[in-house]
Amino acid sequence: MTSDFSRRHFLLTSAAAGLVPFALGLPAARAAAGGTVTLRLGDDLSNLDPAYRVGTVEGNILRAVCQQLARFKPGSLDWEPDAAKTITQNSDTEIEFELNPGQMFHGGYGEMTAEDVKFSFERFTKPDKTGAMVPYADDFAALDHVEVTGTYTGKLILKNPAPAIWTIGICDASGTILSKKAFEALGDKVATQAIGTGPYLFKEWKAREHVILAANPDYKGADTAPFAELTLKPIVENRTALLALMAGEVALTETDVTAEDELAKAKANGIETLKIDGIDYTWIAINVQKGPLADLKVRQAIRLGIDVQSILEGAYGGKVGRANALLAPALLGYWADAPVYNRDPAAAKALLAEAGQTGISLTFTCLNDAISQATAQIVQANLAEIGITLTINAIDPGAYWAMGSGDASKDLDLTLIPYTSKFDPGFQTQWFVSAQVGVWNWQRWKNAEFDTLHKEAGSTLDKAVRQEKYVRMQQLLDESASCVWITHGAHLFGYAKTLKPVMLPDGTDWQLRDFAPA
Amino acid sequence: MRGFAGRIWRERGGRTGVLLVALVLFIALILPFATPDPNKIDVPARFLPPSLHHPLGTDNLGRDLLARVTVGTRSALWIACVVIALSMAGGLALGVIAALSGRLVDRLVTGFCDIVSAFPSYILVFSLVALYGAGLGKLVVAIALAFLPQFARITRSQALTLRHRPFIESARLMGLPATTIIRRHVLPNIVGPVIVLASMNIPSVITTEAAMSFIGLGVQPPQTSLGTLIRDGYVFLDQSWWPIIGAVAVLAIATLGCTLLGEALRDVVDPKLRREP
Repeated sequence: MTSDFSRRHFLLTSAAAGLVPFALGLPAARAAAGGTVTLRLGDDLSNLDPAYRVGTVEGNILRAVCQQLARFKPGSLDWEPDAAKTITQNSDTEIEFELNPGQMFHGGYGEMTAEDVKFSFERFTKPDKTGAMVPYADDFAALDHVEVTGTYTGKLILKNPAPAIWTIGICDASGTILSKKAFEALGDKVATQAIGTGPYLFKEWKAREHVILAANPDYKGADTAPFAELTLKPIVENRTALLALMAGEVALTETDVTAEDELAKAKANGIETLKIDGIDYTWIAINVQKGPLADLKVRQAIRLGIDVQSILEGAYGGKVGRANALLAPALLGYWADAPVYNRDPAAAKALLAEAGQTGISLTFTCLNDAISQATAQIVQANLAEIGITLTINAIDPGAYWAMGSGDASKDLDLTLIPYTSKFDPGFQTQWFVSAQVGVWNWQRWKNAEFDTLHKEAGSTLDKAVRQEKYVRMQQLLDESASCVWITHGAHLFGYAKTLKPVMLPDGTDWQLRDFAPA
Repeated sequence: MRGFAGRIWRERGGRTGVLLVALVLFIALILPFATPDPNKIDVPARFLPPSLHHPLGTDNLGRDLLARVTVGTRSALWIACVVIALSMAGGLALGVIAALSGRLVDRLVTGFCDIVSAFPSYILVFSLVALYGAGLGKLVVAIALAFLPQFARITRSQALTLRHRPFIESARLMGLPATTIIRRHVLPNIVGPVIVLASMNIPSVITTEAAMSFIGLGVQPPQTSLGTLIRDGYVFLDQSWWPIIGAVAVLAIATLGCTLLGEALRDVVDPKLRREP
């Protein structure tokens, strides 16, 4: 018997079969109670030790696997006790806690006690075995020691009043409580194996394939895991991840903000959209120590010469809001009345003339991603119109971030900088103090009043006083004309309508333990 | 048509190759005179669809895509020509030196070629650019280095076959200097296969440059290349699909045209390599 089913027929039939699901509309992934849900991770894990974690990916997993004394309420910056039955601030420098009894560490490592809290927190205050402080030491910089007063009770004794310890220490991933016993038994394996008491336990990590978190049957808290398993799949590229969402392969992914319209069109296929305004900040830093940029009028001219609105439209697709100061609206210290500098080439030229500066040639340094390069080209065109020649130096992330050491920033002119934020404004202002010149203060701007205010605002608990001080700090930055603020960014998520994702207001911190079926 | 060009034109592949290469040359050399400033930013006009005013539409910064494609094509061809010229010159020099010098020099040259060839060309170029930094000049040198061993090897093997030929021996017995023998007798007899190799390598150079620019290690903004155009189009694919089309089409036409022309050239220069129908 012969067949007339040729290779061409085979290809046509295969192609038609492959297109059927697209023609019918791809189903979104389903997230059912007690089932398994697959979520996309932006990157693979690197290190699960809270003190050495690399990014938010590890932090998000740690907060689902481990408990903290207190945790952020779902989607909010208010906090509530977690592993602690009670936690109270007795004075400016003393926080007292009592743990819930019977909170068992995964893997048979016993019950959580105050000794575990002391061990977990004091790691941040002492040099490690290499003699260096852990990378996240600043999160507990104000902690002097933890005093254990009973099996379940203890006190955090601070060196100075430190409001930030709540938001960037206790409630963040640095505040996750480890098992001292497990840590000592596992040694270096703590980097790849998280042992906690949280609603999920760390079941499996296959590098570049998946991370599986399984419901913890021993979890005693009220918020038991709604899913039997969370599978977290690392997909580095946003567009690939978006296609995976559309194909029902993952139930949630973050994607580029420019994909907002595309996600909206997918609503009919059961895809919902969540957009969260960011608290990060991207700005153009002007080196106040470099040649003509040392002249305030030149810096003011550059600020007036740059069309920020065009940058938002052209580079960000008009999908993010404009930043007018350092701190985002969601944060304490937000400067609502910050001046908005709209492009005014005539005024910019007049300022350059007043400064007696002509024929200025500068370098614009930025990362080599598409958004940064689009921004650079707009700035280049803008400044050309006021007589400033700009050469773009787009470099890869490794070389770019290496400029944070060895005083490499002294050679920069204009630099497009994207920094991430935390919930305490002091985390953001710390990079602008005089001591950071040569490290992360690439404007190389020094101001004694700013330095003093940073110190004062970071050691008072009075929110009103802090608000006033942070606003004044931003006014000083504004007067220096050393920064052209671009955006606080935004985070866009697509997710299956059967899933209810929960994120903190920065959009980068996922509260995986609160994810539930919709 | 008779002669060399006629033999290429009579081949179906050669004819197609000539037409496609002519089209690419038209895009790169003639069309820029009829298009607006490729770097003129007009953000309100971003992502305009193809129209009479903007035949390929506009990109994310409102720049005319046809103008940018023409400049990108010119840039790709210019880079390909410079890279091929550099690697061919270097390869010819090394190959002739290896073939006509002593055994030690020959082993050194072949050893160098073996080491360079041991790395896949993309990996080698990527490593060199990562090591010495991005930029057009560095990229050109890196790609030229990656392609150099092919030219050195073919030159060496051709020169070795000529080394003991009577006319070379005669020239040597007449006391002609080595440089004269090379210039008058060796190079003219080996240049044919080298030119064929050069034409066959042009598509590879174009795609290598496009790949490096695609990942941000090649041509830097505001200059453009086919690779940067494809990358920008890819990044904003969710907002408009047309920015990617022009650059991809030209890249496909250029590589296909150069490949077909190179094959036709090879068949004409060396009929022994002609494929059976």
